[in-house]
This record gives sequence, C-alpha cells and structure tokens, in this order.
Amino acid sequence: MRISDRRFALFLMTPAALFLAVFVAYPLFRLVADSFFKISPIAGGPRDFVGFQNYVSAFASDAFMGAGWRTLAYTVVVVTLEFALGLGMALLFTTLGRRSQVWRTVFLYPLMIAPIVAGLLWKFLMIDNFGLIGTLLHQAGILSNPNQIGWLSDPNIVLFSVAIPDIWLTTSFMCLVLFAGLQNIPGDLIEAARLDGARAPSLLFRIILPLLRPVIAVALVVRGIDAARAFDTILIQTNGGPQSASETMSLLIYRTMIRFGDPGLASAMGTIYLVAMLAVAFFAVATIWRPGKDT
Amino acid sequence: MRVAERTRPDAGKAAAVIAESSVPSTTHDGRRKRRGVNREGLEAGRRSTRTLLWVLLAAAMVLYGFPFLYLLFTSFKTPIDTIAVPPTVLPKEWTLENYANALGRSGVVASFINSIQTAVISTLLSLVLAIPAAYGITRYKTPSGRVFIMAALVTRMVPPVAIGIPLASMMASVGLADTPIALSIAHTTISLPLSIWLMSSFFEAVPRDLEEAATVDGCSRLGALWRVVIPVVSGGIAVTAIFAFLASWNEFLFALLMTAIRSQTTPVVIANFQTQFGLDWGSMTALAAVYSIPVILLTLLLQRKIVAGMTLGAVKG
Repeated sequence: MRISDRRFALFLMTPAALFLAVFVAYPLFRLVADSFFKISPIAGGPRDFVGFQNYVSAFASDAFMGAGWRTLAYTVVVVTLEFALGLGMALLFTTLGRRSQVWRTVFLYPLMIAPIVAGLLWKFLMIDNFGLIGTLLHQAGILSNPNQIGWLSDPNIVLFSVAIPDIWLTTSFMCLVLFAGLQNIPGDLIEAARLDGARAPSLLFRIILPLLRPVIAVALVVRGIDAARAFDTILIQTNGGPQSASETMSLLIYRTMIRFGDPGLASAMGTIYLVAMLAVAFFAVATIWRPGKDT
Repeated sequence: MRVAERTRPDAGKAAAVIAESSVPSTTHDGRRKRRGVNREGLEAGRRSTRTLLWVLLAAAMVLYGFPFLYLLFTSFKTPIDTIAVPPTVLPKEWTLENYANALGRSGVVASFINSIQTAVISTLLSLVLAIPAAYGITRYKTPSGRVFIMAALVTRMVPPVAIGIPLASMMASVGLADTPIALSIAHTTISLPLSIWLMSSFFEAVPRDLEEAATVDGCSRLGALWRVVIPVVSGGIAVTAIFAFLASWNEFLFALLMTAIRSQTTPVVIANFQTQFGLDWGSMTALAAVYSIPVILLTLLLQRKIVAGMTLGAVKG
C-alpha cells in the first residue's frame, strides 16, 4: 500500500513539528497562562488567579516602560550603525574586487565569538582605570584624563557603550549579506548608469539601494529581532546598571523572574514583549520587503 | 539590457592599461571579460582611487581586528600586568600563567566537556529533525509545508528569556534537570528553525529528476531520500551542522537558566569568573581565548561553505 505524497510530506515534517510544539509552543502557552496568576517564587507555593492584574502592574511600572524604550533605542542604534558600517564595508569589498577576498574572510571572525566573550572583551577595553580605550584616547591627546568618559559608569551614555560589542560582533553579518546582494546586481546596469553620467551618490541611492531592497529588508529584520533580544553582552558588561540605565527588556524580565521572584509579572512582561516583537517584525516585513512589488 | 556593449572610447582603454599594470584580471569569470576592460560593475577603476580604498580597508581591518588581538595579548601578560594602570598593549613579559590559572580552576575542564557534549547532541538533534522536515517542505510543496516553514520562522522571534523558565521546569519534571540533554534540547529550539530554513534552500537546488529516476528504479521514497538525495546535499548538511554547533557552543542565556554545577557550559563559567573569584581578568581572557580560537580556526578553514550558508536565506531572491 502506497501512501499519498501529501501524507508522506506530513510524515516527514511531523517529528520537527512535534519538537517545536512541545519545546517552544507549550512553554509559550505556559508563559501566557502564568501571566494571569500571582505566583509564589517558592516551588509548590500558592498560585492565585489575578486576571489582568500583572498586565496592569507591568504597564504602570516605570521599570517596564523604561526598559521598553531602552530596548527600542538600543535596537535602533545597533541596527542603524551596523547597517551603515556593513554597507560601507560591503561597498569597499565590492569596489576592491577579487583581491580583497582574504580580507573578507578575516572580517568574518567576530561572528564566531560568543557574545559573552565579546561583552567581556569590550568591558575590559572600556572599563574605568585600566581600560585601554580611555588610555589610548588620553595618549592621543583627545581626552585630558583617561577616565574622562565613563563608558560603562555614566548613565547618559551607557546604553550606547553596551551596544558596541553587539555592533562589533554582527556588522560582519550585515556586510556579508549586503555583499552577496551587491554581487547579484548586473555589472551592465552600473556601467550603463555611469555612461549616462551618474555619479557615486546617485548611483548608490537611485540604483544600488533600490535594487538591494529585499536583501536589506531581510538583513534589517533578522538583526533587529536579535538586537531586541540582546542579553548576554549587556548582562556581562553592566548587569543593566548604572541606575538601570542599560536595562533592556530581556534583562528586566530575567531580573523580575530570578532576582525579584515574581514569575507572574515576569510572564506578563514576556507576553507583551513577544506580542510587540511579532507585531513590529510583521510590520517591517510588510512595509520594507513588499514581496512581489517593484523590486 | 545590453547598453554596456556600446563601445567605450579611450577612457576604457586607459582604464584597461592601468588595470593591467596594477592588478591582474579582476573579472569573476572569463565569460564577462570584454574589450580588454578589466573592471566591471562597481569595481573601482582609477589607480589613485584603488590605493585610497586599500588604505581605508587596512584601517578598517586594524580597528576591527584589534579588540581580539588585545584579548590574546592580555592573556599572555602576568596577572598583575593584566590590570596595570595605565595598560599596555603588548605584555611586558610573556607568560602562560593566566592559562595555567584558568585551566587549573575546578570545573573549567569539565565545562569544556559539557560544552562539547551539549553542542554535539544539539547538532545531531537539529539535523535529524530538520533534514526530513526540510525535504518534506521543498519536495512536496503542500499547504501544510508552507504553514510549517512560516511557523518555524516565527519561532525565531521568541525571546529565550520568555521560554527558558517554563522549559527548565518541564525538564525538571521529567528528571532531566541540570543535564547536557536538557540544555541541548533548549539549544535545538534555536538551531532547528535555522536548520530547516538552510536545508530547505539546499534541497531546493536538487533536480527532481534525480529522485524520480531512483523511484523508477524501484527505490522507495524514503530510500531515494536516504541513498540519492542526502549524498548530493552533504555539503549543505555540513554547513547546517556548523551553524547548529556554533549556536549551541556560544549560547549563554539557556545555559544560565538551565544548568547548575553539574552540566555548566564554558560561557557560564566565563561569566561566573566575574562574581565568584572577584575580578580575575587574566584568567578570564585566557579562558575566553581557549574557548574562541578553535571555532574561529574551524570556521575560517571552512569559510567558503559558511559564507554560502549565511547568505542563502537572505539572497535567494
């Protein structure tokens, strides 16, 4: 007896689907369910249904709203800088052609480094007193004192400082994807535009960027999702401090759950966070990507 | 569009002469080499421009490569020099003391074994689940397949912090708390969607005739997949395996939430150096170097394949 192709396809997909259902969908269901309860952090402790109380507390808390804005700012900073630097490097590699290949490979190396290691390394570079960056800037005569900028201790700039390792780690990814996209642009098209008198800026904004649109959309969405979930690099550098100035959503949820022992509230925050991420991602895909249109 | 076929007078020839003298042919394949002009598309033509661009590249590479080199240099300093004020770039005295200290700490070697175990189990699990699923999605194009690949993509957006705690309590309730198996399952929730996505791209490139010929010759559909299709995509499987391995090797949050002493992986141990033993920067840099260098070397060796894998999803068109 031969089963139909449709059933055979289903049979092939079932193990992976079951795995994702059990280990992703079910924990998510638990998360949403927990968000309606006041839960004691002690195992086997009381568990009382409180309706939307946790959501009300979340939206009413400054910590939550602050973390939301910080996560948004962090994501925008990381993705914007990565995109600008990645595009710059991709154009540089493309204009240099084949001889830059070795350097393209070397440029990839941060992608293999654990975020925790990257966070640590940059903390070591930026730390007060024996951080190298302050010292080098001082020796170059830019700073009057090596500790003039408190990279990780000044609440006004710390959110930018903690983003540096993330940018350093994944600009390579942005560059790689954009570089691959650039290789798909027909050389004829560029030459034709050049013959028609197009200069570099109009070449970039009128021809290259519009043609790269789908690739840019994928790169921005993928990196945006990752940046909005940033945890390791921030935890190791500042643990959200000073004065919560670098506390993003992942950190706040983690601390609410583990340190402050309020799983119910943490679940409500997690649920809101997840819904917001899905909404933004779908919106971004729909507007930037526009599959099937113009490109 | 064949506008570029228009003859370009002297400017083109001049560029060709300069290009010829300074760089060998820069065309990607012989087919596109026309009229002796070696530049194509976006490649820079003038020599002065090229020199400037190379200088720019050198500056970027130094800035980009320096942080990790500094980590390496620091790991060879003496523990006291590590936190000297002001810091120096190169060690005053090269020593392996930091390495001896780091690897001598209790639990460090065990954490390496845990990291390897977890990453290997997670890689195998990802492949075993992703290969048939991706094949089912690409080969049969059923509506359920389309729904499934979208669902797998949405999974990528789930923040690990949101499912880490429920996952940990699920593992505890089946007696798997603090084991490499439990952690590798958690890591597979990250690598499986990626693996399905990658493998789908690789299967897409396999011509249908191949399996059809095999089935005509009396192979079952599973037999055709196993004996004919899988050998063809073995390169793609290797790429997928590397990505799954790296995802687990470098992961920190699940490892922090789901392991205690027994199955702790090295990223958690590195992070713990900070609190447990005061600020032991020297040992931390040494351990970070030992943990990072094997994967950097491995991936640089296999870079061609990895580049193909990273760009597949985004540039498929």
